[in-house]
Amino acid sequence: MTLPPTGSESATVTPPALSVRDLRMGYGTRVLLDNASFDVQRGEIVVILGGSGCGKSSLMKNIIGLYQPMAGDILIAGRSIVKARGQEKAQLQRKLGVMYQSGALFGSLNVLENVRFPLDQFTELSLADKNLTARMLLHQVEMAYAEALMPGELSGGMLKRAGIARAMALGCDILALDEPSAGLDPITAANLDRTILSLRKNLGFTFVVVTHELQSIFTIADRAIMLDPVSRSIIARGKPAELRDHSTDPRVRQFFNREPDRRKQTGTR
Amino acid sequence: MTQDAGHTASVILQGRITAHTAAPIWKAALDTLARNPTRPVIVDASRLEYVDDVGIALIFDLIRRDRPQGAQIKIHELAPNLATLVQAYDPKDFVQPIRSRPRIGIFEHLGRATAQQVAYARRMLGFLARCAVGLAQAFRRRGVIRWSEVFDVATEAGANAVPIVVLVGFLMGVIIAFEIGLVAQQFGAVIYVVNGVGVAMLRELGALMTAIVFAGRSGAAFAAQIGTQKVNEEVNAISTFGLDPIDFLVLPRLLASMLVVPLLSVLADIVGVFGGAVVMLTFDISFLQFYQQLLGAITAGDFLLGIFKGAVFGLTIAAVGCERGLGTGAGAISVGLSTTSTVVTSIVLIVVIDGFFAVVTS
Repeated sequence: MTLPPTGSESATVTPPALSVRDLRMGYGTRVLLDNASFDVQRGEIVVILGGSGCGKSSLMKNIIGLYQPMAGDILIAGRSIVKARGQEKAQLQRKLGVMYQSGALFGSLNVLENVRFPLDQFTELSLADKNLTARMLLHQVEMAYAEALMPGELSGGMLKRAGIARAMALGCDILALDEPSAGLDPITAANLDRTILSLRKNLGFTFVVVTHELQSIFTIADRAIMLDPVSRSIIARGKPAELRDHSTDPRVRQFFNREPDRRKQTGTR
Repeated sequence: MTQDAGHTASVILQGRITAHTAAPIWKAALDTLARNPTRPVIVDASRLEYVDDVGIALIFDLIRRDRPQGAQIKIHELAPNLATLVQAYDPKDFVQPIRSRPRIGIFEHLGRATAQQVAYARRMLGFLARCAVGLAQAFRRRGVIRWSEVFDVATEAGANAVPIVVLVGFLMGVIIAFEIGLVAQQFGAVIYVVNGVGVAMLRELGALMTAIVFAGRSGAAFAAQIGTQKVNEEVNAISTFGLDPIDFLVLPRLLASMLVVPLLSVLADIVGVFGGAVVMLTFDISFLQFYQQLLGAITAGDFLLGIFKGAVFGLTIAAVGCERGLGTGAGAISVGLSTTSTVVTSIVLIVVIDGFFAVVTS
C-alpha cells in the first residue's frame, strides 16, 4: 500500500499491473483464445468470466507464467513474463500470489505452516515474526481456528481460504484467484468477497479473478472480461452491471441473466 | 531505525516495509523495546511509504505489547487506512502459543506401530475373505468379472513387463552359473553346475525374481491407481452406483496377476537356464551336454512348483496393492505412503511365503 495516496501524476507514468497483448493461447494445435488484449490497473479487481471450457483457467495459467502462450505477450508491471527466463521469471512470478482451484496446499504441512511456507523460503524473518504474520493472514480469511489442521482435514472452502492466505503471504502485486467462491456456501462466499474488497481497499492489492459466480462478479468486480469458446475471443468488457443491462450481444445478456440455451428447450412429446 | 531521546525512546518506521525488507527493521524495533522496558516508546510511522501484510504484522506486533504503566508504546501518524487494518486485529487472538506437533516417545511409537500392524493383519484377512467370496461368486455368476479389464491389466502388468523379466532372469542365470562354476571347477564338478542352475531357477529364483519385479512395477501401480481413485472419490462413485469396489477394481487385478506372474516366471526360468547355458560354454560344456544334464537334474515337479509359487506370489502382490490402494487416506502423501507400503509389504510376504514353500516341499 502506498502512503500517502498517490497523486494522479504518478499514476500516469506507472505501467499497468498486468497487460495482456495480442495473446494467442491453447494446447498443442488447438487454439482456445486468439488476439486477446486487456490491461489491469493497479488496485483494480478484474474478473475473467465465460462458460465452462472457454479457457478462463488456461488464461490464468498463461498470466502466471505456468504455460507459454502461442503468440503475444503478457507484461507484469511492464516486464514480460513470456520472454523472462530462469531467475528473472521466478522474480516476476513472486510478484503474483496465486490461489488454485483446489487450494493446492502442501499435504505434508499444516495450515499455519502452509501459509508460512513462502515466508520461510524467501524472507529472513524470525520464526515468531513469521508465525505472527501467518496467523494474521489466517485471521483475514477467517481461518484462524484451523491453523493446526492438516489439508486433508479441511473442506473445499477452507482449502480455498487457506490458499488465499498463502498467496498473500509475500505481499504480492497481483493476486490471481481461480474460482475462489465456486462450491462455497453463500455466507462463506460473501465473506470471501468482503475479504477481497477489504484487501484491495486497505492494502491496494490488484486482483485477477476467474469465476462464473454471478453474485460474486456483481459484488467485487470493477471490470469483467468475457471469453467465448466459439469465437475464441473476448466478446465483452466493462462493468458487470452495464454488460448485463446494456450489452447488445445476446451471449453476454444470456450469461448475465442466467438464461438457458434456446436450442436445448425441447417441446412436449 | 531507533533513537533514544531523553525520557522517551523512539522507533522510526520509514520507506518500504515488505516481506523482503522487514526482518532487520522488525528485529531492531524489538531490540529497542527490550532495551527500554520502563520508558515509553514512540513509533513514528510518518515516513512510511509502503507496507505489505508483513509490515502490518510488524506494526501490530509493536503496539500489541503489554507494557507497564508509563512505558507504553504510542504510534504516531499512522495512515488512517493502515490504522484501520491494524485495529481490525485483537491482540487477545494471538496470545495462544503455536501448537507444535506432538512428539512421541520410543515406547509409544513401538506400541502404535504394533497396534497398526495388528490392525493391518486383521484388515488384510478381512479383505482376503471378501476377495475370496467375490471370486467364488464371480465364477458362479456370469458378468461379475469384467474380462476386458482383466486382459487390459494382464497386458500392462504382464506383456509390458517381458523385457525387464527377460533381462533380470537372464542375468540371474548368468550369475548363478558363473559363481557356482568357479567353485565347481576346483573340484572337477563343472557339469553339476547345470543341476544347480536348473533347480535354482525353476524351483526358486524364476518365480522369486519375477515376483520382486512385479511387486515394484505392478503392485505399486495398483496401489497408486486405486489410491488416486480413492482420493478423487471415484471409489465412492463406484459404491454409490451399487457396485462393489472389490468386484470392480480388485478382482480383475487379482485374476490378471495370478495369470501373468506364473507366465512371467516360466519366461524367467527359460531365459535364466539359457543364461546359465551361455556361461557354461566358457567352462567347455556345450549346449547339448547342458541339455542332457538338465533333463536328468530337474523334474516336472520342480517346474510346476515354480509356477504354483508364481500364482501365489501374484495373488499376494495384487491383494496387498489393492488393499493398500483402497486404504489410502486423503491427499497426495497418502498415495505415496500406500505405494511404498505395498512394495515393502509385498517383498516381505514373498520371502516369507517362499520360506514356507521351501520347508513344506523339502
